[in-house]
Amino acid sequence: MSENQKILEVKDLVVEFNTDRGLITAVNGVNFEVYRGKSIGIVGESGSGKSVSALAIMGLIPNPPGRVKSGIIKYHGENLLDKSVGEMRKIRGNKIAMIFQEPMTSLNPVFNVGNQIEEVLKLHQPELSKEDRHVKGVEMLSLVGIPSPEKRYKEYPHQLSGGMRQRVMIAMALACKPDILIADEPTTALDVTIQAQILELMNKLQKDLGMGIIMITHDLGVVAETCDDVAVMYCGKIVEKSDVKSIFNNPKHPYTKGLIESIPSFDSTSGAAKGRLPTIEGMVPSLFELPEGCSFQDRCEFSTEDCRGSKGSPSLTKVNEGHKVSCFNPLQ
Amino acid sequence: MSENLIEVKNLCKRFPIKGGLLGREVGAVNAVNNISFSIKKGETLGLVGESGCGKTTLGRSILRLIEPTSGQVKFNGEDILTYNKNQMRAMRRKMQIIFQDPYASLNPRMTVGSILEEPLIIHNLFKTKEERQKRLYKLLEYVQLPKDALNKYPHEFSGGQRQRVCIARALAVEPEFIVCDEPVSALDVSVQAQVVNLLMDLQKELGLTYLFIAHDLKVVEYISNRVAVMYLGNMIEVAESHELYGGARHPYTKALFSAIPNPNPNISKERIILEGDIPSPMNPPAGCHFHPRCWMAKDECRMSYPPVESMSQTHEYRCYNPIS
Repeated sequence: MSENQKILEVKDLVVEFNTDRGLITAVNGVNFEVYRGKSIGIVGESGSGKSVSALAIMGLIPNPPGRVKSGIIKYHGENLLDKSVGEMRKIRGNKIAMIFQEPMTSLNPVFNVGNQIEEVLKLHQPELSKEDRHVKGVEMLSLVGIPSPEKRYKEYPHQLSGGMRQRVMIAMALACKPDILIADEPTTALDVTIQAQILELMNKLQKDLGMGIIMITHDLGVVAETCDDVAVMYCGKIVEKSDVKSIFNNPKHPYTKGLIESIPSFDSTSGAAKGRLPTIEGMVPSLFELPEGCSFQDRCEFSTEDCRGSKGSPSLTKVNEGHKVSCFNPLQ
Repeated sequence: MSENLIEVKNLCKRFPIKGGLLGREVGAVNAVNNISFSIKKGETLGLVGESGCGKTTLGRSILRLIEPTSGQVKFNGEDILTYNKNQMRAMRRKMQIIFQDPYASLNPRMTVGSILEEPLIIHNLFKTKEERQKRLYKLLEYVQLPKDALNKYPHEFSGGQRQRVCIARALAVEPEFIVCDEPVSALDVSVQAQVVNLLMDLQKELGLTYLFIAHDLKVVEYISNRVAVMYLGNMIEVAESHELYGGARHPYTKALFSAIPNPNPNISKERIILEGDIPSPMNPPAGCHFHPRCWMAKDECRMSYPPVESMSQTHEYRCYNPIS
């Protein structure tokens, strides 16, 4: 196991949806890689395409109305997009697992927790006997830090708190020791103190199991604390990609900078010395009427003629080692 | 700036739980437990806490949207809990609320114009159509929406714009006091900052007083003059917002601050991770409700609830073993 083993590579991914109002491109040429034992954070506001990218990796884009138009998702040298439904089913939940935002709606209310963990094992490890499955299920529950796992094993989702449910989701996702864990806003529905517990748990499990994590979130704080690399998405495209330190210390894209600044911070202006929060003017354009050129041009204070389409759309270009930005006038 | 607009004394709200064959009371949740505080004119009091701690119930009890069980709520010196229905209706003009979810709190069948006009008609404020029209334009100007918004329906707007409509609706009747119940939690980060700025600008311009309820400590600390922290129905700490960060005395407040993910990877801070979940409010632990999760709990914490201690004129807390 080398240090920087690439386990997943997403190349030029394009995902389209057919809607009543016409075709929209939810993900438009996205590239990123996942390394063993590392976390990549995908940040963006609602509608930026971050969840759709994740669903594409899982082969869960509802078709119709959606489809992966082009691109490659390379997992261990094989393109996942070429796999048949049956082959995908063997990988999904086994090698690549996903946890969702809302732990209540993603657990089945009529089965007990143990049953739901066992279902994963039954599908992907049919060689296990009933007893083995039970032992393994209980083991998973204690791995995710659920107290008295034997007792909890027989409980139903409504008997658990939000944090406990999310732990059960993680236990289910990790039951088959996946290579990659996709976490789609795993802590958004949780309270801060519980969020801290879950993030700590994910960090610990990642160290123990050495999986790659794709962390999808809108919370830059979560990214700063849990990820090694970050990709910032805006209107279906990655606008900036880098390691976590450089993106926060030296953001190159005006959008990234705006996002970071619009979070109130404790350390600088506290209490009485409050001014206005820096904001990004305007709002995210509708995917139906994206402007020519850079999608961010109307909200950007640095936009020039180049940004309005005369030079086409900006593409991800390297500015520093490991730091790429898609902007004609990147910040210094 | 010095007189108190809102004074709350020993406010309690108890929700009985009925069960069994005869529908007898089998238990109760003390959602708001003997809370006292005051808000000065033109001030913002932030109210934070995790889900189920009673912050929304408290906000609504003050407006009598939920009828409190006991206690006093004084608005400009008068106890509004003694008001009858008619007196209360007139009172409601002075106190408004902005809700969390701008998707659920606007009637999808009404245009923005009629949504904003309705409170004016109910309170019989601007009597002629022309006056009302003028008022509506003024309201849109306050919240920075274009004039043509009046003829549109809520679904034609984004989340941030809808929240602006909700703010305009609250402002329509020229209130003095607004309860903001998680007004920015449902919004994207960049839009959230716009709405926070708007609320702060309006406060300055119109001299409003806010009770700002949120679970996001960063936003609360930013917008509030003072911050109150709630845990399981009790107010456990109140302080000026700059005192609270760094100077928290209650272990829960400290843990709450430390739990917030920091968008600055250069600062690695000591993180306090609380064990366990919030206990069920139906059956809260004896003594200090926080003791099962508290790393500093001693015997006395298990026996009785700590009294209010004051550290300074503005800083109060309820803890036997405060952090020094």
